[in-house]
Amino acid sequence: MSEALLQQIVNGLSVGFGYALIALGLTLAFGVLHVINFGHGEVVMLGALTVVIATTKLGLPYLIALPLAALVGALVGWVFNRLAVAPLLPRESGRTDILLTTFAMGVLAYQVVLSIWGPAPARVDGLQGRFELGGVALTAQRLFIIGASIATLLALEQLARRTRFGVELRAVAQSEHAARVVGIDVKSLGSRAFILAAGIAGFGGGLLAPITSYSPALGQAVLIKAFVIVVMGGLGSALGAVVCALGIGVIEAMLGLYVDESVATGCVYGLMLLTLLLRPQGLLGSRT
Amino acid sequence: MTRSVRDLLLGLLLVAIVATVLRSAYWLDVAAYAGVLAVFALGVAVAFGQLGYVSFGHAAFLGLGAYTAGLLVTALGWNYWAVLPLCVIPGLLLGALLGVISARLSGAYFAIATLVVAEMLLLLASHWVELTHGPMGLMVSVSPVPGAQAIGWNAQQAYLAVVGAALVPAFVLLRNLRASATGRCWDAIREAPALAESLGIATAQARVLNIALSGGLAALAGGLLVPKVFVLSPALFGVTNSATGILAVILGGKATLFGPLLGGALFAALPEALRFLGELNFAAFALMLLIAVRVLPDGIVGWLMKRTALQRRFARRAAGDALPPATPLVARAHRADPALQVRQVSRHFKGLKAVEDVSFEVRSGEIVGLIGPNGAGKTTLLSMLSGFLPTTHGSIQAFGQDIAGLAPHRVARGGVVRSFQQTAVCASQTVLVNMRIAAHLHRPVGFFGALVGTTAARLRERERLAHALGCLQEVGLVDRLDALAGSLPYGEQKLLGVAMALAAEPAVLLLDEPAAGLNHTEATRLAGVLRELRAKGMTLVVVDHNLKMLMSLVDRVVVLHHGVKIADGAPHEVTTRTEVVQAYLGQAAAPAEEMAEASA
Repeated sequence: MSEALLQQIVNGLSVGFGYALIALGLTLAFGVLHVINFGHGEVVMLGALTVVIATTKLGLPYLIALPLAALVGALVGWVFNRLAVAPLLPRESGRTDILLTTFAMGVLAYQVVLSIWGPAPARVDGLQGRFELGGVALTAQRLFIIGASIATLLALEQLARRTRFGVELRAVAQSEHAARVVGIDVKSLGSRAFILAAGIAGFGGGLLAPITSYSPALGQAVLIKAFVIVVMGGLGSALGAVVCALGIGVIEAMLGLYVDESVATGCVYGLMLLTLLLRPQGLLGSRT
Repeated sequence: MTRSVRDLLLGLLLVAIVATVLRSAYWLDVAAYAGVLAVFALGVAVAFGQLGYVSFGHAAFLGLGAYTAGLLVTALGWNYWAVLPLCVIPGLLLGALLGVISARLSGAYFAIATLVVAEMLLLLASHWVELTHGPMGLMVSVSPVPGAQAIGWNAQQAYLAVVGAALVPAFVLLRNLRASATGRCWDAIREAPALAESLGIATAQARVLNIALSGGLAALAGGLLVPKVFVLSPALFGVTNSATGILAVILGGKATLFGPLLGGALFAALPEALRFLGELNFAAFALMLLIAVRVLPDGIVGWLMKRTALQRRFARRAAGDALPPATPLVARAHRADPALQVRQVSRHFKGLKAVEDVSFEVRSGEIVGLIGPNGAGKTTLLSMLSGFLPTTHGSIQAFGQDIAGLAPHRVARGGVVRSFQQTAVCASQTVLVNMRIAAHLHRPVGFFGALVGTTAARLRERERLAHALGCLQEVGLVDRLDALAGSLPYGEQKLLGVAMALAAEPAVLLLDEPAAGLNHTEATRLAGVLRELRAKGMTLVVVDHNLKMLMSLVDRVVVLHHGVKIADGAPHEVTTRTEVVQAYLGQAAAPAEEMAEASA
């Protein structure tokens, strides 16, 4: 294997871990609430923007800006939930209506950002430094993304297994009705899950900002990638989301060696449609 | 002259008058754009209003239509007005493909798939520069409309007339479809997909057809857009256009076709009205979308209809002025005996053996009771008989034909129809509409008959209505015709469920706990209905816990316990068997009082 290829695989993996967090947020909200947040991408964008503002305007170090991104994500998630999700859930057509309202919230967020900060992209300096390993270079930021993502995934895993909140989440994901019967407050749990999902998305945006650079259009691009990932992994499947995110990060990076970036993106979209056609339950989903 | 032809001519006349009278270039432009957006909104409304499928990528069809026209004109030098009808084709094809992709999945997948497809086409249009000129845009020269000068129309007037000539037939044909069995199938799929399958509706096919039509209309709108925009750019595929389509439908209202018309008109005028907002124009759209979904879910037209008496007038007209006399229900003629043959059927859920190696027969014209304690596997068995669950092993034959592995609607069309344990009706539709949905297999009308609304199709529609009324009479619900199915008391909803199953013309009727939740009077009424059906030659398999009613009714019982058949025979014979008593009462040796009493 050539060094260039190996290099792209490593780069793809680091981006893939960032995607994994973002897709996980999307699939978490779906697993618990059975709703799709069409404004999810804009939450990611706002996370990235937070890092930009915190590091350039406020002069904060990156490692302090990053938790702020998660916080902003969660805050935006709270607003989304209050205005566009929770009030519509009891409706019979709620799940369809929420597609529309979260989409509207996403557009609003995007337009607000555009009118205040303009369309210009911005660079963020992440962690400095780089390592060489047998001809493959890894910047400190990419290494940090991989480490922070793995740590977050493990923390979420522990949260799901060990805490009351996590157990209740899993219960609701399995059967909302049964969860209600045993006294779980499904409504408040759903709100908390949605906010957590948005927090993860904001964090993911903050992680990726230094390597993909920020622009207001980031949200739309990331949203579609996250969709591709969760659909291929099977909607609602956390493991599927992580595996597919890594796969897509790597495939994209490797294709980038040979073809134009947008052609690579197009190929990934095509893969998703093919998956839907041939294996609609997702690559790792099981047929029920 | 049928109503469709009359409305078509009236609509075209109206278009001609407007095109002739309007002189201001500005208003001609707005009117034509309103027409294009109305066609687009009708396309979005077909999928969204009928199937409940939201699309964030209808701009994919719009752009596809526009580029089809543009490329045929620029690359092949064809006349724009001649290629306009061809624009529909790629839309239909892409719609069918998206339909196939998402027919098996929930609407959420459709929303995602459409968004991704639009994005793919956007990438393609931007990067295939040799073909599309990329972001520079494709300049399309539009020749004058042939014959327009002879009438005295200028180019803009002729353009408006062409847009109208596309919009009016689209509207009339869609209205025909919505009022036909095809349209009612879509309603059923939106509200209760499993019920629709059980009544013999090929849900996947119906979805594909719907989305193909929706795409075709949106592509036609794209083709019509060319003379307005002149230069085709990849932004046609952009999310702004998709959002405009959705918003036009939501704001206008998706329950009737007038909603998209109004929505289209609004969005032709709005950008001008909102120009003062500058860049925040799109933000205003988003805010309107949010507010509309939250406070005006039925749209402006829906709200107006609720406020005024219009809704009731519409409903009455849709129901037909006078109902035909009910046709008494005739059971399908006896076919081969036995009606059902179940051989060594098993169903395992991972480790759990819900049904294990069960064999039995149901002879034509008998009522067989399927009993057993909770968790015995009765519903699982019924679901396998009706095609809702695949078998793990074994074979199932109906009248000598293998039915294991067939889709539920195929099983239903073969004459084996089931009812559901929980009430399954289209709750927001009236009893009459529910029955008309269920009767769709009776005297079916082809797609084109439904589309055009031929006289033959209307005659058949009346016969079907008479059949539906006959089935409703069978369960004694004829006085409830105009009630919303969801507002009926539980017992009546279950009876409606039975009537709907009857309307699908079963030779074998599978009833899953029809008496559960019924009071004593209702249960007695039900037993009477079932006896009458047997007298008419229908074969019945009944699962129920009301043993008293069941034992007085059935010719034979099959007893399941832990997924295994433990008894099969006449009621009085079976209830004295110790294994049956043990299954119901544990180790008690004495015969169950209820069973003894029931079989007496």
